[in-house]
Amino acid sequence: MGKRAFYGGVHPPDVKPAAAQGIVAFTTPDKVVIPLQQHTGQACRPLVAVGDEVKLGQKIGEAEAFVSAPVHASVSGKVTAVGVAAHPTLGTGQAVTIVSDGLDALPEDVTVRKDLAALSGAQVREMIHQAGIVGMGGAGFPTRVKVSPPPDKQIDTFILNVAECEPYLSADHALAREEAAAAVLGLRALMKAAGVERGIVAIEDNKPDAVKALAQAMSGDPALTLAVLPCRYPQGSEKQLIWAALKREVPSGGLPLDVGVIVNNVGTAVAVANALTGMPLVERVLTVAGCAVAKPQNVRVRIGTLFSAVIEFCGGLTQPPRKVIMGGPMMGIAQSTLDVPVLKGTSGILVLSEAEVRDYPVLPCVRCGRCVEACPMRLLPSEIAIRSDAGDWSGAERASARDCMECGACAYVCPSRRHLTQSIRLAKRELLARRKRG
Amino acid sequence: MLALVKAVRNGIIDENPVFRLVLGLCPSLAVTTAMVNGFWMGMAVIFVLTCSNLFIALIRGVVPSKIRIPAFIVVIATFVTIVDLMMKAYVPEMYKTLGIFIPLIVVNCIIMARAEAFASRNSPIVSVADGVGMGLGFTLSVMVIGAVRELIGTGNLNLFGFALFGQGLGSDPAMVAVLPPGAFITMGLMLALINAAQRRKAKASVGGEA
Amino acid sequence: MAVTRPMLLSASPHLRAALGVPQAMRDVVIALFPAVVMGVIYFGPYAAAVVALAVVASVGTEYALCRLAKAPVTTSDWSAMVTGLLLGLNLPPTVPLWLPVVGGVVAIALVKRIYGGLGHNFLNPALAARALLVAAWPARMTTWVSPFDGISTPTPLAQLVPRAAEGLGAPPAYLDMFIGNTAGCIGETSAAALLIGALYLLLRGVIDWRIPVAFIGTVAAVTWAFGPLGWFTGDFIAHILAGGLILGAFYMATDWVTSPMTRRGRVYMGIGCGLITVLIRLWGGYPEGVSYSILLMNIATPLIDRYTAPRPFGAARR
Repeated sequence: MGKRAFYGGVHPPDVKPAAAQGIVAFTTPDKVVIPLQQHTGQACRPLVAVGDEVKLGQKIGEAEAFVSAPVHASVSGKVTAVGVAAHPTLGTGQAVTIVSDGLDALPEDVTVRKDLAALSGAQVREMIHQAGIVGMGGAGFPTRVKVSPPPDKQIDTFILNVAECEPYLSADHALAREEAAAAVLGLRALMKAAGVERGIVAIEDNKPDAVKALAQAMSGDPALTLAVLPCRYPQGSEKQLIWAALKREVPSGGLPLDVGVIVNNVGTAVAVANALTGMPLVERVLTVAGCAVAKPQNVRVRIGTLFSAVIEFCGGLTQPPRKVIMGGPMMGIAQSTLDVPVLKGTSGILVLSEAEVRDYPVLPCVRCGRCVEACPMRLLPSEIAIRSDAGDWSGAERASARDCMECGACAYVCPSRRHLTQSIRLAKRELLARRKRG
Repeated sequence: MLALVKAVRNGIIDENPVFRLVLGLCPSLAVTTAMVNGFWMGMAVIFVLTCSNLFIALIRGVVPSKIRIPAFIVVIATFVTIVDLMMKAYVPEMYKTLGIFIPLIVVNCIIMARAEAFASRNSPIVSVADGVGMGLGFTLSVMVIGAVRELIGTGNLNLFGFALFGQGLGSDPAMVAVLPPGAFITMGLMLALINAAQRRKAKASVGGEA
Repeated sequence: MAVTRPMLLSASPHLRAALGVPQAMRDVVIALFPAVVMGVIYFGPYAAAVVALAVVASVGTEYALCRLAKAPVTTSDWSAMVTGLLLGLNLPPTVPLWLPVVGGVVAIALVKRIYGGLGHNFLNPALAARALLVAAWPARMTTWVSPFDGISTPTPLAQLVPRAAEGLGAPPAYLDMFIGNTAGCIGETSAAALLIGALYLLLRGVIDWRIPVAFIGTVAAVTWAFGPLGWFTGDFIAHILAGGLILGAFYMATDWVTSPMTRRGRVYMGIGCGLITVLIRLWGGYPEGVSYSILLMNIATPLIDRYTAPRPFGAARR
């Protein structure tokens, strides 16, 4: 493995305050708000009404399209609202509010254990779908869809993504270290679902303890190999990870499927392992960090727990937060309120203090070329941004704006503090809208 | 009568060939190393422009439009040849300084442009006025450029052998002004100044109306 | 603790790297400090006055023009300071004191602000101003004196090139050229001082090594190959140490605004600068070609950028 795992990229400070800590469980929220859209694709149809009693793991939202995933009650208790609520990525969205009775009562069918060896690939895919599993790295793409490649695509490798290249975040790291066996079991199930023989566990070299645990969990299985990659952002991006691990280049506008690869996050694999025990996706591990929170840590929380409750569990606020982010500091989304719920794809809650949030004046582009060096997609971010700012959408398109994955590396390095990523994002939205209009 | 005055005025100010139309840049840049050069260059252009405008306006009814350009060039070339020989005979020193740029008046955009855009569409008398106006506009422009460059580049201004500032201003004239780069820089800055003044005027008149 | 005021909403990324434009410009000023000190040691307090006036004129012009245009005053980004400093260091130590002032005004007004200020100029302001000063006052800009005593002396470069070296004596020893004990511009003679600053800039990540390495490497290779006594007899060490090569290669060819954005482009920029420099030095009409080579490559920069744009990841190979 060469020193540079992929082209471009940046080295944000390797700040992972909670990396060494174990996972702390917070499974007793007073109430949960479970959005019916936590995934890419169509929103769910609610199966419950106000006043209904629900049990832990009971399906409360049905997926009615192929690209969709059902949602489940993450506590037992009483439904108090079905309607519009604050949503961390969409602003607002339909959600089911459940007030917990604190019992975590389980319905009978949820506790049926399944044996992976006895299941067919199709059965595993159906299990993944019924468990409501989506990509847990943040994108929230329904996992069933991901492991159902079209028949014309020859898939030969499954990559388990443990790169976790964003600063602050350490949930995947802690999960891989403490639940390596479950992660590897989940990987095997995913490989079976997709009909793939070869599995690669890709991880950055700044997580030696997780590397050790994973190596132990997968020892003796000739189908699985470990790829320890040098630490660099955005290693966790699918295209970059595939290049780093396999030296295969996903074509522009294409998917990993096009080079015979499926990538899934370690959290997703653990969720699949849990589904084998009969439990659908009702909780996840996320990182709470930032200077404005008393105890930064990796927390296991129920889906739908409000940010405010999670922060309260972590010792509460030590000072008024200047900025609260869902996800990592490079790609996460700033929140306007703490009353938003944890989604299946919420990898972290960053509560940044005044000192951590610096607001720089924007200067003209000085053509230093740092963004060009940093762009992992080998684009010219400054040029796309200049065209976007001027409303020259077709110029932005010619400059390959569509290939941008909004990793934020360009804006991170920009010494003029230009909002490059945002300008490019704008061009992408505009180009998408134009294409839809036809 | 008013139309004639207007035509002359138009050439000097509103449609000044050098600063407003940005035509005839080649001699404007090349011969403006001194104010006097500008004067003689201007005289030659006034003569050619006025005469060619007159003749082209006279023949405009009889020249088929397909061959009008060659016809214009023949007319212009005739007067350029006259100027060329006259200057060679009577101001040989200046003729040496201006050199190739006197014969090159044939291809000067100002003259061709006025022939095509004005003289071929207007009466002979107005065309003469236009030629005089445009010629004066050109003359004044190149003299101003020449004066600025001469002053900065040599520290003095010479007019027909008479030094305006005696021993000259300062001992360190910036030689670059009379070198080719100086022509471009001076020209650019003067265009910028005139555009800025024009813009300010436009803004003021808009403000006045509002 | 309750949330007392609205939280900041902004688009990702929420992290920014430490190095900003003002910090980078300040780093250049810091890096040039040893060269300024050596220049003042060699050429006396008069040299300090020349450099100071260039800086004052540059920063003052920037301030005045910003005020005149009713635009935000941009002197706090340190870029005008860098321009003034580089201009001052590129002047001979004998120039009259009005000359750095004219240079500073020209650099900022005619080369930088007129195109829109920081980031919009296509020529290096300090170098373009220097070129104009050389064209305007050629004698003033080529009067050289030896360090300490101020006796009129040819520069090592003039002594290096056979066509000009007739009767000028042998070039100084390498050590003298390295520490800067030779005739030349205030800031260009001391290779040692310049290299210390360049090392700082490289470590701070302000400049990319590609341009200076390609630039100096090309000059070395070509001057060595085309030696005065036949193939591969050239004194390339002297060519590296003499004249403004080190100052130009590390501090001016690397100017962010006027050098290519792509890595490959920077190599081409360096090679181009090197070739033009040698062309002028060995066969041209001027003894020194560093500043003209950089200016010419400045103009070629947009073209270089266009032809060295990387192939987007995943795009079809061209």
